Amino acid sequence: MRVSVRDLQVTYRAPGGLALPALGPISFEVEPEQFVAIVGPSGCGKSSLIRVLAGLQKPSSGSAYLNHQPIQEPSSAVGLMFQDSNLMPWRTVIDNIALPLELAGVSKMERRAQAADLIPQLGLEGFEEAYPGELSGGMAQRVALGRVLIQRPEVLLLDEPFGALDALTREQISLDLLQLWQQSGATAIMVTHDIREAVLLADRVFVFSQRPGKLIADVHITLPRPRHSDDMFNEAFGDFVRQVRAAIDRA
Amino acid sequence: MSRFTKLLLLVTVFLLPFSIATAQDDELIDQTFLLTFIPNIQFSPTYAAIANGHFAEAGFNVTIEHLDEPVVVDLIASNQRQFGIVSGEQVIMARFGGRPIVYLYEWFQQYPVGVVVPENSDIETVTDLAGRNIGIPGRFGASYSGLTALLAANGLTEQDIDLEEIGFFAPDVVCVGGVEASVVYLNNEPLQIAQRAEQGECGDVTGVRVLPVAAEVDLVSNGLVTNEETIANQPEMVAAFVSAYHQGLQDVINNPAAAYLLSLDYVDNLPISDDLQAALEAEAAAQEEFLATNPDREAIAESRQTMYDRLHEQFSSEELIQLQVLLKSIELWDAEQLGVTDLASWEAAQNVLLEMGFLNEPLDLEAAFTNEFVPGFEE
Amino acid sequence: MLANVLSYTLNKFISNEKYVLKPRRSVVRRYALIATPLTVLAVWHFITLLELFPVFIIPSPQAVGIKLIAVIQDGRLWLHMGVTLQEVLGGLFLGVSVGMILGYLIAHIPVLEDLLSPIIVAFQATPILAYAPLLVIWFGTGITGKMITGALVVFFPMLMNTIVGIRSVPENLRDLMRVSRASRWQLFAKLELPAAMPVLLTGLKTSATLAVIGAVVGEFVTANAGLGYWVKVARDSYDTPLVFVAVISLTVIALSLYGAVSLLERRLLAWQRRHRLVD
Repeated sequence: MRVSVRDLQVTYRAPGGLALPALGPISFEVEPEQFVAIVGPSGCGKSSLIRVLAGLQKPSSGSAYLNHQPIQEPSSAVGLMFQDSNLMPWRTVIDNIALPLELAGVSKMERRAQAADLIPQLGLEGFEEAYPGELSGGMAQRVALGRVLIQRPEVLLLDEPFGALDALTREQISLDLLQLWQQSGATAIMVTHDIREAVLLADRVFVFSQRPGKLIADVHITLPRPRHSDDMFNEAFGDFVRQVRAAIDRA
Repeated sequence: MSRFTKLLLLVTVFLLPFSIATAQDDELIDQTFLLTFIPNIQFSPTYAAIANGHFAEAGFNVTIEHLDEPVVVDLIASNQRQFGIVSGEQVIMARFGGRPIVYLYEWFQQYPVGVVVPENSDIETVTDLAGRNIGIPGRFGASYSGLTALLAANGLTEQDIDLEEIGFFAPDVVCVGGVEASVVYLNNEPLQIAQRAEQGECGDVTGVRVLPVAAEVDLVSNGLVTNEETIANQPEMVAAFVSAYHQGLQDVINNPAAAYLLSLDYVDNLPISDDLQAALEAEAAAQEEFLATNPDREAIAESRQTMYDRLHEQFSSEELIQLQVLLKSIELWDAEQLGVTDLASWEAAQNVLLEMGFLNEPLDLEAAFTNEFVPGFEE
Repeated sequence: MLANVLSYTLNKFISNEKYVLKPRRSVVRRYALIATPLTVLAVWHFITLLELFPVFIIPSPQAVGIKLIAVIQDGRLWLHMGVTLQEVLGGLFLGVSVGMILGYLIAHIPVLEDLLSPIIVAFQATPILAYAPLLVIWFGTGITGKMITGALVVFFPMLMNTIVGIRSVPENLRDLMRVSRASRWQLFAKLELPAAMPVLLTGLKTSATLAVIGAVVGEFVTANAGLGYWVKVARDSYDTPLVFVAVISLTVIALSLYGAVSLLERRLLAWQRRHRLVD
């Protein structure tokens, strides 16, 4: 699914009535099945962009489109993963994963079967009936990932999904995400602070400026796919990382 | 002088008068006198015994506390308090329940309950009540016992009448014709209904007649109680307390105008105005002079009526309603010999309780009361 | 209390390493169940033996036991308990439903809070004892009046807990429901209700015991049956053992309700007792 943004601006109203521009104006186009990573200083409006694309927030001006249709409200074709796992603590792992299907009215047997199919790919075998309180942070994020993937989204929005994890867990889960995304055929837009993660996963890395966030660089990562963890030791990989960092330093 | 010393000095100066006052009061025994209900003109004998110094002369510093009847009984039975006023039936039931309560002095010589009917009603006697619709506050307390006794004295039971629980709204219910007759306290509701009728605010009712329980049967009524322990250990104190109360009661019977005035300090919302106050003070003073001539009981009763008539020329019956309550109550209190009860009236009360099923066997009534401490009583 | 015994025994049989109560605490609990009432009885017995108070103030446990057997046999205990239980359950149901519905509305429509809070706070600040006689005049002397009294006492804690519970639902989870295109009903049933459940159950626990107080207050004003009425009648007829029987019966009702809600809590909030197994 194609994601396009035209002259998009998000402005917040401060308590005193003062207008606080958070994002834009910004325009870009993401091709179907492309993976875009967004990096930039904190408070540059990345999360606002994700919320607009998810249909959770109306832009102040300009528009965002899915396949040329303006985004007015949340769409079933879009899956969103939050900064924290955002699981329901009273639901088991399998019921958390199956939630989107449950809300869509899929029968209990069917949705549990679909969730069970995802469990091995997420590395959650044996924890089907565990509660979120019993999981580590990385496992919780895997459940959250499963919950997004189960609705087979055509657009995957990821708002710093692994920000709170330690480096080792983070790298492992990034690679799993890469794997799962490649199978899914979805367009992905991910906000991240980790340049290496961005380069490893993305086809393009967008670099945002300070608030109000504007697109100041669009780095095409031409590393071949499928990619693996070994790719991080390539010279090309390092070049891209340096390139992105240089763009950020200019931000 | 430091600030602390100054403070200490100041406190001492302030407290000095109090310590002197306490020293004086030390000679008096503190007694809490337990009453039921709420402050009311009907308790004027107690107020008079305090205000006219009878309790103090007898060596008591009395404070009043109003409580529910069972609480009054239990506090006295457990000797946490020594004196109070409850009804005779409560004494019987409390003794049945193992409480060592003893009745000392009858305050109401006549049982204060009766049946009120509109004056144009064809109910002339108690037997006429058969088959009639009669209101009652509820199936409890003195009104229920009184009705049971009244009916029983005429060979009737509750089944012969159509009894309806109406709460304490007899004046309203009678005035709208909701019941044909109602069980009431003689010194309260009949006066209210009569007053409304006088003002034309009581429907078809032009006046009232009452059928008092006391006319048919002598039931022991409200009176002073203490416990067996106090009688055994401090009989002089009991005698002194009863005597002081007796004098207060006598004061009120003799001079109701003065009693009304002194009750103003104890009862909220007692109707009063500058004119009424002045008139009552004049009446009270005149009564003192009259009493100095040693009039007999009948003459005093007559003086009460003429006083009311004089006041009524000047004041509305609405303003005099509480004085009327007092005068009506005095009629129920007054007797040739105050304070005495006889075994027959106790037996009558016990029979009512047995009939109503509140008691399942008779008890030794002789132990429930004594006339020993009643001033002027001779066997 | 019974619930604790049951769950302890059950746990012993079905325990797996995922879900075990700490044994020490359970042992203490099990003994406390027997020891506490026994201690109370012993102290009570001892006090009556010493004759510190006259028997009409504190009757002996035996006298109360004999009275209890008598009123069980003549059926009066079940009659009065039944009436009070009806009033309590009715009041609880009414107060909890109204409290939850209004609390839910207030949590979502802040202007309602501004409009209603003066009335609600005024009602709450006024002791129920003061206006219970009015309720009897308005709603009659029957069971309804007592249910209303109970409902009014129960209403406030339930209302507050509902407001707090609904407002504390994480905003992120609301967003999750929105992006998953949940309906209004799904938002309530799948998110708000389960998320607020711990707070709601705490409110229900408080309410269960308060409903008993409400019913008894109502019965004290006027009644023809029920345990509160029985306490009054027993006191008015100077039957202290019967007062004790009636009071103990009230305690039993209050404790059973509390126990029932606790049991419900254990079932519904089982997830809260799951601890982390993996780091």
